[in-house]
Amino acid sequence: MPVDDLFAEAERQLIVCNSCRYCAGYCPVWPALELRSTLTRGDITHLANLCHDCRDCFSACMYTPPHEFDLNPPKVFAQVREETYRSYVWPSTVPGWMHGWRGVAGWFVAIFVLLVALSSLTGGAGNSTGPNPGSPYEILPHLVMVAVVAAPSLWTIVVLAAAVSRYWRDTHGRLRDLTRPGVWARTLVQGVQLRHMRGGGQDCDYPADVPSPQRRRLHLAVTYGFGLCLVSTTSAAFMQEFLHLMPPYPYLSVPVITGTVGGFGMVVGCAGLMLLKRRSAPEPGTPSMRRADYGLLWALLILSVTGLLTLFLRTNPLFGPVLVAHLAAVIVAFAITPYTKFVHWIYRLLAIYKDNMDKLA
Amino acid sequence: MITSPNDFVPARNGALDEQWDVVVIGGGNAALVSALSARDHGARVLLLERAPRVFRGGNSRHTRNIRCVHDYTDAYYTGRYPYDELWTDLGGVGTGPSNEALAALTVRESETVPRWMTDHGVRWQPALTGTLALARTNRFFLGGGKALMNGYYRAAERAGIVILYEASVERLGFTGDACTEIVVRVAQGRRRVRAKAVVCASGGFEANIDWLRRYWGDAALNYHVRGPRYNDGTVLAQLLDAGAERAGEERGFHAIAVDARSPKFDGGIATRLDTIPFGIVVNRDGRRFYDEGEDIWPKRYAIWGRNIAVQPDQIAYSLWDSKVHGLFLPPMYGVSAARSISELASRFDLDPLAVEETVARYNAAVDRGPGGRFTMAERDGLSTVGLDPPKSNWAQRIDRPPFYGVAMRPGITFTYLGVAVTEQSHVRRQDGGVFHNVFAAGEIMSGNILSTGYLAGFGMTIGTVWGRIAGREAARHARG
Repeated sequence: MPVDDLFAEAERQLIVCNSCRYCAGYCPVWPALELRSTLTRGDITHLANLCHDCRDCFSACMYTPPHEFDLNPPKVFAQVREETYRSYVWPSTVPGWMHGWRGVAGWFVAIFVLLVALSSLTGGAGNSTGPNPGSPYEILPHLVMVAVVAAPSLWTIVVLAAAVSRYWRDTHGRLRDLTRPGVWARTLVQGVQLRHMRGGGQDCDYPADVPSPQRRRLHLAVTYGFGLCLVSTTSAAFMQEFLHLMPPYPYLSVPVITGTVGGFGMVVGCAGLMLLKRRSAPEPGTPSMRRADYGLLWALLILSVTGLLTLFLRTNPLFGPVLVAHLAAVIVAFAITPYTKFVHWIYRLLAIYKDNMDKLA
Repeated sequence: MITSPNDFVPARNGALDEQWDVVVIGGGNAALVSALSARDHGARVLLLERAPRVFRGGNSRHTRNIRCVHDYTDAYYTGRYPYDELWTDLGGVGTGPSNEALAALTVRESETVPRWMTDHGVRWQPALTGTLALARTNRFFLGGGKALMNGYYRAAERAGIVILYEASVERLGFTGDACTEIVVRVAQGRRRVRAKAVVCASGGFEANIDWLRRYWGDAALNYHVRGPRYNDGTVLAQLLDAGAERAGEERGFHAIAVDARSPKFDGGIATRLDTIPFGIVVNRDGRRFYDEGEDIWPKRYAIWGRNIAVQPDQIAYSLWDSKVHGLFLPPMYGVSAARSISELASRFDLDPLAVEETVARYNAAVDRGPGGRFTMAERDGLSTVGLDPPKSNWAQRIDRPPFYGVAMRPGITFTYLGVAVTEQSHVRRQDGGVFHNVFAAGEIMSGNILSTGYLAGFGMTIGTVWGRIAGREAARHARG
């Protein structure tokens, strides 16, 4: 659907919603809509990103197809979010050969080969047979590793920072308004609980039209798992840089425990969400968002499984290839992050922040 | 009607061939409550819903809240609402309750309704900004009436109640004072269903335009029906034909002003218009016909359906100017705007001179009025002087372009004519007896309680209170 038509259709639906208002108890989208008697593109983008896709409004709506009003808020919001994810990053059109399954697999293989080449050029063992088995730096020197991971990370940070600034200008205005600690505290508390996915206490009508806490819980497993993996990485960096303790770290150490628990959380969460998604009703979503969801879940699954394997195989001859594979996965993930569903939480946090700010106003 | 016995589908193993304790006819609030109540009292229950699954729930899918007596506050009620106050409110609508004993029973029993609903899986919406006007007296369903019905259907499935969709009851057969035959049309053809007791919870006849025409003539062709097209009153007609006693005014209906562009059926809440008190309303001839500022809007919106229904061509036009534009919910189909009154009148094919004259006379009457501060929060006393009919509140000159307008039609919510019942919800007969295995709940018997007028959320109270009674009594009857 052309972008103009998409926003026109979203506006048509939301005008009917604003004449009804029965969904006001489910999530903040509907009270936020009530504050607006005219809808700009920025308003619609804001509401779409505030939506956590619990789909309770779809089940509750008297006007879903085949009713002639033809309302489907979760679907039109998903379409608008796809437009958000596409249009706010640079470049907004990625060449066809670079994305999709083939693109990602191609990148992965290329990076893997590059890492193997770097490993042999820099005198790495290629497998873990040296004096310090399980140490990643026997495979790839620390500086090289930092360099190959930092480059795509920096790229991603720059692209996403620009996206945040453009998104905020379109949906709100002054960047200065993003600096209110009280609002951030509220926002983060709501965000890390996925509170707006609770459907006003009813839980999500997902995978079909029976309310269930499963999706929210599995999503939280992924969120917290991901967070623990970040803790693992940063704590390892801290131990190395400041405590001068070199990896591999003992099983009872912060990096290993958080990495293990986080990795398992992500594996369980991603696998569970994919199983739920297979059974989920197609009507309140779009095929392209579904593909994007699967793409992100597979990517996180590969990252967490290869990460866990580097831990369990660290005295095994396979450690070298597994570590290189994990590193290649991390590098590819960092590089393509701005162009994946991964970005969803950034816009969603900004939308929650704006919603909290509007409520205080 | 049945043409030949061959029209019946041969018996097969299935829900329609079993002997049921209780068959509930209908798929809205009263029907589901009846079914759940009968099941709670041990009956094996079959529910026959005429609509397809996606449109199940009757008028209840468009409802939003329920009005019950409560002597407590919680996250969902902003204040107490004692028995006497609800009783007084009920007496204040129209000409008061039709049957005082049954009305008192309804109000009394309402006190235990919220708890019963919660126990049957209903979720509530906390008192929010948008609901505050009613949140003391009325309890709001989380997500509205369709969400309520979804919850009840899930509860019914869990309880083992068998539900058939697209199952229309075409005929009830009687032997003496007992219903002995229920003829149901399903996709495969007609079937006879056997049941020890029947609960009729199938609503009124508001979607049956031909039936409405008996009382209203061709004017009924211009009425819009706010609920589903399935409420054609077949079961009500079967009961009346079999000698059931009537309850409720046959010409009685609840109607509001809806957008003239709204669909003929099932437009629900979204097509209503809240513009009336902000300006004036003229009819096809460009003349005003009723006080637009009689009382605060929530107390008056339900009379405007009837007001418009008795105007020529059953149409009226709400007009206002840019001073008040944006102070009310935007109509879902948008509004017409024009730089002058005559241009606006032409948009609606009204006589521009007549409308200009009406506006000029109205403006002059506003000028003669007391003036003061305009506020929608209360009756602000801004009234016309020397105008017939007057506008008693919110009367401001209509003089600041652009001018706006929207065409309105009567939108019927439900009809009042039903069957008379006993305190056990037995359907009464004209000969003074009852049909001993036939029970009624909901709109099909609300004429026992409401004569004219309406109290927001009280239809759901009637449906729930009487559904509980009908289900319980039907189960007792069936199980001896």
